[in-house]
Amino acid sequence: MSAAANGHDLGGPLLELDDLRIQRARDGGTIVSSVSLAVGAGETIGIVGESGSGKSMTAKAITGLLPPGVVAKGEIRYRGRNLVGQTERQLRSVRGHEIGFVLQDPFTMLNPVMRCGKILRESLRQDRRLSKDEWRAEARRRLAEVGIHDENVIDRYPFQLSGGMRQRVAIAAALARDPQLLIADEPSTALDVATQREVLALIKGVQEARGMSLILITHDLRVAFATCKRIYVLYAGSLVEVGDADDVAAEPFHPYTQGLLLSEPPADQRLRELIAIPGSVPTPDEVATSCTFAPRCRWAAQACVEGSPPLREVGARRLSACIRLEEIRPEMATLRGLAQLEADPVAAARSENPLVVVRDAQKIFTSGGGKVAALDGVSIEVGANESVGIVGESGSGKTTLARILVGLEKASDGTITIGDVPAHDYSKLGRKDRQKLRSTVQIVFQDPYSSLNPMLSIGSTLQEAVTTHDRRARNVDARVADLLESVGLPASYAKRRPVALSGGERQRVAIARALAVNPQLLICDEPVSSLDMSVQAQILNLLAALRAERGMSYLFITHDLAIVRQISDFIYVMHRGKVVESGPVEDVLDRPQHEYTVSLLEAVPRSDGDWLVAAET
Amino acid sequence: MSEVAAQVETLEAPARRRRGRPSLLFAVCLLLFLGVVFLAIFGKMIAPQDPSAQDLSQVLIHPNGAHWLGTDALGRDVFSRLLVGARSALQGPFAIAAISMVLGNSLGLLAGYRGGILDTLLMRWVDFMLAVPALLVIIVIAGALGASYWLAVLVLAVLTVPVDARVVRGATIEQVPRPYVEAAKTLGVSHRRIMFLHIWPNVSPVAVANAFLIFAGSLVALSGLSFLGLGAAPGTPDWGQMLGENRALLFANPWCVLAPGAAIVITAASVNLLGDWYYEWIVGRGASR
Repeated sequence: MSAAANGHDLGGPLLELDDLRIQRARDGGTIVSSVSLAVGAGETIGIVGESGSGKSMTAKAITGLLPPGVVAKGEIRYRGRNLVGQTERQLRSVRGHEIGFVLQDPFTMLNPVMRCGKILRESLRQDRRLSKDEWRAEARRRLAEVGIHDENVIDRYPFQLSGGMRQRVAIAAALARDPQLLIADEPSTALDVATQREVLALIKGVQEARGMSLILITHDLRVAFATCKRIYVLYAGSLVEVGDADDVAAEPFHPYTQGLLLSEPPADQRLRELIAIPGSVPTPDEVATSCTFAPRCRWAAQACVEGSPPLREVGARRLSACIRLEEIRPEMATLRGLAQLEADPVAAARSENPLVVVRDAQKIFTSGGGKVAALDGVSIEVGANESVGIVGESGSGKTTLARILVGLEKASDGTITIGDVPAHDYSKLGRKDRQKLRSTVQIVFQDPYSSLNPMLSIGSTLQEAVTTHDRRARNVDARVADLLESVGLPASYAKRRPVALSGGERQRVAIARALAVNPQLLICDEPVSSLDMSVQAQILNLLAALRAERGMSYLFITHDLAIVRQISDFIYVMHRGKVVESGPVEDVLDRPQHEYTVSLLEAVPRSDGDWLVAAET
Repeated sequence: MSEVAAQVETLEAPARRRRGRPSLLFAVCLLLFLGVVFLAIFGKMIAPQDPSAQDLSQVLIHPNGAHWLGTDALGRDVFSRLLVGARSALQGPFAIAAISMVLGNSLGLLAGYRGGILDTLLMRWVDFMLAVPALLVIIVIAGALGASYWLAVLVLAVLTVPVDARVVRGATIEQVPRPYVEAAKTLGVSHRRIMFLHIWPNVSPVAVANAFLIFAGSLVALSGLSFLGLGAAPGTPDWGQMLGENRALLFANPWCVLAPGAAIVITAASVNLLGDWYYEWIVGRGASR
């Protein structure tokens, strides 16, 4: 791709990547097969991709922070100077001074034993000596720029601050030497929705005020649309589409970009079905000789696997790697139309016979002498064959409630009945009642990477689930195969170990394990939040299909209003251990009554620019 | 670019070990250890001469064709004693490592998994055992009951089990809050099964590597006790014993002192390195860290 296509109109790019390739030195494995891009002075670009796309490695290559054993080839030109192959000493003159870097995780990015003031001081320019008062004033000014007006933050340690505050301090540190370019790698992903919007608005605001260039790296197309001018979509180590944000949002020119857009459920309507991308992200080497997206593309033809298609110009300032674009454009448009179809409205009436009744549940944790009420008088009901959602941010108590329901915690007070068994404290139950509860309620955890025993094969894990409640079970292998099939995995996966599975596949196994006892209630605790966007839709569709097939109840716990809208009939909104609002999902999300629900709804990423503007005030 | 490449080269070495490709060092250690195991089993048969046969006409001769490592002050063939001594070098440490694998791991799993008062009691007991000076206890017991190899093994085992329990408890505590354990709990899997089938395989890298360390440590400790006359009975072919008996002969016939000393050091070092390698290998195979 020529750099000319990328934005020379802004008067010579500040940073230019020309055929950047990143490889593991050990085995020559490819991490990034080819990325070319350009950032002009004052320009904002977004690099969008899922895990394994190589987006973070690209960012690290630019700042010369590639991990040991990983090498970059090609050219990274900063103001015309090639950074590839420069020594650490030479790179240090660029890093911080010219290019600032903000990372995803505000919890590990700040040195935990340094006060925030010290962290800022370390980052400030060393060339002039400041007196104690002077540098304190400087630190105050720097913090004010990132919206922290509380001077005491200078004397606090990172662990004393909230995630959002920490990310602000990290941004202040990255800006301390007044870089010309800021690279933000998923700066908001680890934060709560509301904070996420504030941090993005802050970065955008600072970028505009300083006239700095910004590279935003994200997995979320909508976030990129709202923040960036130009979008680079990265898939399996190479760019598949490049274009201005507004144009890409209006009509994506690559099936993958469109797939990503359609995989993400909208917050304002319930769809008949999410259009998921099948399969999972391949490694760059697996798709080195074909179109990277061909194995998962519904329009893949012979020509797509006969060579690796380069990016080509397909419109004004637009590039795409799809060779069949002209043929399939009408079909892509049809699919976008289909994806908009709304689901039939769900019955708003609650079920007559509740399966789970929670009344005034309290849970108090004592930590360091203080008492924290994780649940403060929560009452909920889940009826038979009902899908109930619980929405809230971290710290709202939603996970604590789930853990009490499956007996991993005891309620401090209140009554809980599941079926007709009192369930506020499993340890007080007889063996029979406990067994009954265990086969009535099952749970799927958030993190598929740690919820399967890494030392057991998938088959052993599922066999155990089958035989635990049915010791005389016959045909265990056949039942394991059935379970795998019911979650869309081939029976041969029984022989594999969790390491050989992708995140989405693991989550399918975790669901199969929960289904093994034929539960009446499946609790899903953020089951898709650690999965890639394209996989998330598959799992949501699977969960919807399983419920239709088996008539289970769901208790679906999530922070994501769009997801809860797709999957639940009735929702509870939780905030600081209390249910602040409840009702049929349409009512609550379309006509929210409580201010907290309103603020949650506003924070859901939207493609339009207003989304960020509103947060700045 | 060349500088970057050079840097990459040096940083690659640990990565290769992590990937579990056997290195030359590993192969050497394994061969040495297997050799010692072979001698422990068949040493008596392949020893060229009777290790206890005294020949006072052939005292302190230097290495030659008949006596590869010469003879000691009583005219016994050092080479044969070295070969036969492999058995007492390995059997004690093996017993100690096995006992702590079974008892120490079980106690550690129980304390880490159950927590609460059981954990507190077990760990205070461990603290107490760690505070006991091992050598002193053995000297007192050996003084009271008479020195014996298996008595030393037993006392060492009793003192080692708590150390192992503490290590395994630490690793267990790390695993207990993981979702796979919670998932097993919510399925209603029995506690025993969770401890031994779910948690143990995930702490086994630590547990087995620790057993290797215990093995090597006890080998040195037992040799030391034999050296002091608190272990193997006088006259038995035992490396520590040989070292002790012949220490005065360092200048008369250095081989009869240096050979058993080298055997102890090399065997212990190779067991230690094998433990290291095992840990990296099993973690590389996907055991959770």
